[in-house]
Amino acid sequence: MPDLLAARAQMGTSLAFHIIFSALGVGLPLLLCIAEGLALFRKDKTWMMLAHRWARAAAILFAIGAVSGTILSFELGLLWPTYIKFAGAVVGLPFALEGFAFFIEAIFLGLYLYGWDRLSPRAHWLCSFPIWISGLASAWFIVSANSWMNTPAGFVIKNGKVVDINPIQAMLNPGTPFETIHMILACYVATGFGVAAVYAFGMLRGKRDDYYRKGLMLAMVMGVIAIPLQIISGDANARFLVDAQPAKLAAMEGVFKTQQGAPLEIGGLADPNTGKVIYALEIPRGLSILATFNPNSTIKGLDAFAPADRPNPLPVHTSFDGMVASGFFVLFIALLFWFLYFLKKRTVPTNRLLLVGIVLSGPLSFLAIELGWMVTEFGRQPWVIYGYLRTKDAVTTAPWLNISFLIFTLIYVLLAVALTRLLLGVARSPLPKVEMPGNTQQPERAGV
Amino acid sequence: MSVAFIALSILWLGLIAYAVLGGADFGAGIWNLFAVGPQAKRQIQLINKALGPVWEANHVWLIFLIVGLFSVFPSAFAILSIALFIPLTIALIGIVLRGSAFIFRTYAIDTTAPITTWWSRVFSTASLVTPFFLGAAAAAVASGKIETTNGNVQTDLGAAWMTPFALTIGAMAILLCATLAAVYLSVEAHNDHDETLAEMYRIRALIAGAITAVLGTLGLLLSPSEAPILWQGLLNRALPVVIATMLIGLATAAALYYRRYSLARILIILETAFLLGSWGLSQYPYIIPPHVTIENAANDPNVIVILLISIGIGMVLILPALYYLFSVFKLSTPAPDLEKKEEHTASEVSQEKSI
Repeated sequence: MPDLLAARAQMGTSLAFHIIFSALGVGLPLLLCIAEGLALFRKDKTWMMLAHRWARAAAILFAIGAVSGTILSFELGLLWPTYIKFAGAVVGLPFALEGFAFFIEAIFLGLYLYGWDRLSPRAHWLCSFPIWISGLASAWFIVSANSWMNTPAGFVIKNGKVVDINPIQAMLNPGTPFETIHMILACYVATGFGVAAVYAFGMLRGKRDDYYRKGLMLAMVMGVIAIPLQIISGDANARFLVDAQPAKLAAMEGVFKTQQGAPLEIGGLADPNTGKVIYALEIPRGLSILATFNPNSTIKGLDAFAPADRPNPLPVHTSFDGMVASGFFVLFIALLFWFLYFLKKRTVPTNRLLLVGIVLSGPLSFLAIELGWMVTEFGRQPWVIYGYLRTKDAVTTAPWLNISFLIFTLIYVLLAVALTRLLLGVARSPLPKVEMPGNTQQPERAGV
Repeated sequence: MSVAFIALSILWLGLIAYAVLGGADFGAGIWNLFAVGPQAKRQIQLINKALGPVWEANHVWLIFLIVGLFSVFPSAFAILSIALFIPLTIALIGIVLRGSAFIFRTYAIDTTAPITTWWSRVFSTASLVTPFFLGAAAAAVASGKIETTNGNVQTDLGAAWMTPFALTIGAMAILLCATLAAVYLSVEAHNDHDETLAEMYRIRALIAGAITAVLGTLGLLLSPSEAPILWQGLLNRALPVVIATMLIGLATAAALYYRRYSLARILIILETAFLLGSWGLSQYPYIIPPHVTIENAANDPNVIVILLISIGIGMVLILPALYYLFSVFKLSTPAPDLEKKEEHTASEVSQEKSI
């Protein structure tokens, strides 16, 4: 494998692995906070059991998130030294702020996870707030840095040197509001449906008690609030690309030729060799309408860009359609759930098909996140900093990148297997016995 | 005094924080390797209890260092990433395996399963490997063997860190981590009224500390030939600090000898701070001798000012939170307004199966 490809493969694998834990790191603490709050205010044991169980899963997931995030921060330099020399100078600020958010998260996570019997119930519950707030802030900061790679701002190039740096402007680059909101909502969608899938699976296996219903309900509330907003945000993102990154939009939608009244190609394969989208469902003028609300508007195709500046539409278009399809499936399931919920006079629906749909929604919403990142990363190619630095010029001169890629891939496989075993073990272990606050006894600790 | 110098000083304080906190976490992993025999279970419990609540927060100091370095000195970070590709990659693998193996063994459903024992061993090995390569990388920087022209690395990838000096400092880093951890663990065991363990870690701290001192002396003797710029700086500026470091080391040993555990903990922290301080002072004004200096590697001063302001705001949030964390789990007098239930006794702690 050439060094550039090995470096990209290692970075991509690292991101694909880490993103799962970051999404859960944003979403799970909010679920924990709400569940523990409900437990305290309603004096409800079931909510407390859920909070305990989620905390145990969170402890494991967050540790893996912390170490996989560390890999990425090293890789920014180890794989892409030229990139980080540029990005560090201009957009170091959100990275630094993300570092502080991570700090807050780690500190209060330690207090939360190990403080059940050391803190008062109220103090313990309050410790969950900084965790979800800093998780949210981390996501915003780090995605603003990625957004800067798509729509660079806050600097000027003079005689080949980066000058007039304005880190605040770099952080608040044009793409930031679109990308950050889209990612944060994705975290809540994925966590909501991911957790809901676990409880729906339990229900399918005949467990229908209060614990499962409450777990499912809370997760579905989070998912159902987030998913319609996410669809709207996705639409805004695509429309933003019309002017900001037309090459990426062209690759996403499989537009090869610049045209008036561009059709919307749904599905199919965007073959860069023939310049056609094969096997696609074509809606005439669909793209022009979606992108600009005008059926006759002109959409830039890949042919508007020099061959060396074009992203490969095949992975971008396919990932994009996969993401959108997953999103709409999840939206459909969410609507169906709430329709049945109100139809059945506010009882949790236990229709088998619906439960199967929820079980599918969990992995699909994580798949949507992965595909979404492929859209934005493959769609930005051949640039690492759009219009300024090409990916091939950013890669390190260090040798043995193949070996490095191989070793890290093996580590990810090892971690994934061990983690899955451990989480399944946690899920199968007997439910925690919880003493409600107010009792003088300490909560049961073993098996929590 | 330039803003870049202020920023570097803050990063150096971050380095000291990482060494005394994160370093001790690696040290605890090293002692995990020696947890055998009839006392093994209690040792592992003590290590889990000591590490569990704080290791992730301690680890963030490393992220702070990386992000701070590439934001304030972007070109220096790029050079280090290329020249130290191998030791940093190995250290990274160690960091990843240490953290995940610790979680896998601590949260294992069956603590006696062979796979749990295997993860426990991975945790120890990774804790041993990581400080060695971080130490060797630091020594490679200090030795002035990373040659650059116009920001391009000229050094062969092994030349800078596969030297007697770097390997000595790598070994010293392992022993320093072990000493830090042994001192902390003796305090924690003493607070748990487990005098057998406290005594055991006291002896280990004394032995590890003595070996650290020997390796430190060896590093010092190698400096004139292996790290000439560092040696010159040491003679010119850092000599009082180096002498202070030695004296504090002796004081730490004395405190341990007389079983003044809490005092020994403060002294070993001070010792580490002075040790790293003397390195920084000797190397001034270089970031990567012999070519990269604070001046020629620093980012735009306006950017550094904004970074310093945000670090200031960040610290206002972080430091009280950190104090709260450590007061709950590490100090005998917790933060005010903390409704803490009665202290665990040693017997209760040893009954805990999982934390």
